[in-house]
Amino acid sequence: MTMDRRTVLGMGGAVAAGVLLAPGVQLIAAPPSNETSAAGSQRWAMLVDVNKCTPGCTACLDACRKENNVPLFGDPARDVHWIRKVEVQDKEHRRAPFTLPVLCNHCENPPCVHVCPTLASFIRKDGIVLIDEHRCIGCRYCMIACPYKARSLVYFSTRFPKDGNPRVPIRAKGVVEKCTFCVHRVDDGQLPACVETCQGSGQGAMIFGDINDPQSEIAQRVKTLRTETIRADLGLKPHVHYQGL
Amino acid sequence: MISNYTAIEGQSFRYWILLGVLGGFFLLGLGAFIYMEVYGHGVSNMTNQVVWGTPHVFAISLLVMASGALNLASMATVFAAKQYKQFRRFSAFLAIVLLVGGLSVLLLDLGRPDRLLLTMIHMNFRSMFTWNVFLYSGFTVLCFLYLWSMFEHEKYVKIAGSAAFAGRLILTTGTGSIFGVIHAREVFYSAITAPSFIAVSLTSGTSICLMLLVATFHYTSRPMDMRLVHGMRNMLTFFTLLVFYLFVIEKFTKYYAPAYYDVESWILAGPYSTLYWGGVIALGLLAPLVILFNPRSGNTLGGIMAAAALSILGEFAFVAHTLIAGQAYPLQLFPGHDISSIFLDGQSAVYSPSLVEILLGLGGVALAGILYLLGIRFFRLLPKKAEAPDEWHPWSP
Repeated sequence: MTMDRRTVLGMGGAVAAGVLLAPGVQLIAAPPSNETSAAGSQRWAMLVDVNKCTPGCTACLDACRKENNVPLFGDPARDVHWIRKVEVQDKEHRRAPFTLPVLCNHCENPPCVHVCPTLASFIRKDGIVLIDEHRCIGCRYCMIACPYKARSLVYFSTRFPKDGNPRVPIRAKGVVEKCTFCVHRVDDGQLPACVETCQGSGQGAMIFGDINDPQSEIAQRVKTLRTETIRADLGLKPHVHYQGL
Repeated sequence: MISNYTAIEGQSFRYWILLGVLGGFFLLGLGAFIYMEVYGHGVSNMTNQVVWGTPHVFAISLLVMASGALNLASMATVFAAKQYKQFRRFSAFLAIVLLVGGLSVLLLDLGRPDRLLLTMIHMNFRSMFTWNVFLYSGFTVLCFLYLWSMFEHEKYVKIAGSAAFAGRLILTTGTGSIFGVIHAREVFYSAITAPSFIAVSLTSGTSICLMLLVATFHYTSRPMDMRLVHGMRNMLTFFTLLVFYLFVIEKFTKYYAPAYYDVESWILAGPYSTLYWGGVIALGLLAPLVILFNPRSGNTLGGIMAAAALSILGEFAFVAHTLIAGQAYPLQLFPGHDISSIFLDGQSAVYSPSLVEILLGLGGVALAGILYLLGIRFFRLLPKKAEAPDEWHPWSP
């Protein structure tokens, strides 16, 4: 079968036009992306007292890995980290080095959500930033945009661990994942695993709660004590606060 | 006149060999994609710090070049440079094939390419990626319309060509803005990133047109007036100076802000400084300028071809430096502090391309090459001979 030039040009143009127009057609039927059952009146936040966070303690990291089935591949550059301990030293050495846990800051203006082309990254009404793992195409733009290095790509195949938590599914290779504030626990009225462990076997450096509730401990401490957020200058309004930075 | 255009015969041994070699690279690229799809991105050298690696360098370089490839057609249609009218079809077609080559690499490097259709179902209009989905497809439509008007309806050429010209500017602005809007990354974040991408698209696009035209005319024994080569050389010279100017302005502006001292010093003297000084500045900018301004080499076909090849090399180096160094520079969680962690916080990322990434990238280049070879074989894209008006005498060094 032969096709003349006009047919080929027409077909090429039609395919390109179809690709251009299809998104617009689908857009009309697209459902609201961030429909959740979370309460809009709540705003979950975390406060870390840096003075209580001791360098050798990894209780929060271990609890997070166990609770959320976070895999370790043995390659520091490609391991998945939902939370990590960062050691900080000012360049003039005027203060002793200190450590603190760094995790997704569940920003009010999250750049990861802004850049996600498929709305796989979204923010719930209660402020928890989540990833729809079934919608993530693995473009990694969110990892580029996040100033906290809070996201990891799953570089290898993963298996459900023997003693894994059945409440949290494992993530497939090729998608991006990150801290969820243990949303499954929060929705059940529990604390995130890292906070619960820190308050139990750890140093009691972390608290968690609804910062919109003026009676909550976190709201009162953020109101009365000097707290800071990481890279507040970027205007992202993070909801992981630090005391004693 | 349509009768002035002919397709190439495409029967020579050399043609089939070239097609075969490109086909081989395309298959290797396909194999690399399947390998990475089956085993995950762990088989590449990308990490959680350098999340966009060599495939993105190839993809973005091809996309930027695609936009610049339309330049020759725009010179004729929008800026009334009559001598390039005969290359309009070639130019618009080349823009499409380079775009297809670049996009194929970009899409096949996704962590989940099987979910590609989601980009057309769930869209986030705050994302530069979403805008780029429209910009790439929109630019392709405009190029097809432009080609259609050139082939069938000359009266629409002006409007279609002008729309495609605007489309290419917007397209490359979109590509540059993928990086320019990321305020968490000091290397990327700049209002001048997008204009720099446009300027680099002009140098690389002009270079690829120049090289392919000269090669195609030579191997098909079609005569080409050397003045046309000199005219394109002048365009390349001007665009290279434009890139140089934008680079200087960027450095000048950033060095005025103490907050940028660390990152700028890291760029100029850090682990990726060889790529910057050697690839971007020396090979991509200075060497072409030296060749093009030299009265001897700047007037010979060999010298001009070498300058064009270096410009393309410089474009790849520019994209590679922007991408890789931009990601490798450690995120400043606590500016003014040294930080460390098991997640390599505070450290410059180490990255070198892996074979699977290189093959995937070359697969996209090969695809573009195959489409070009088939295009000139089946369509009347090129004139039988390339002539320049008698009264036209381009400047020479």
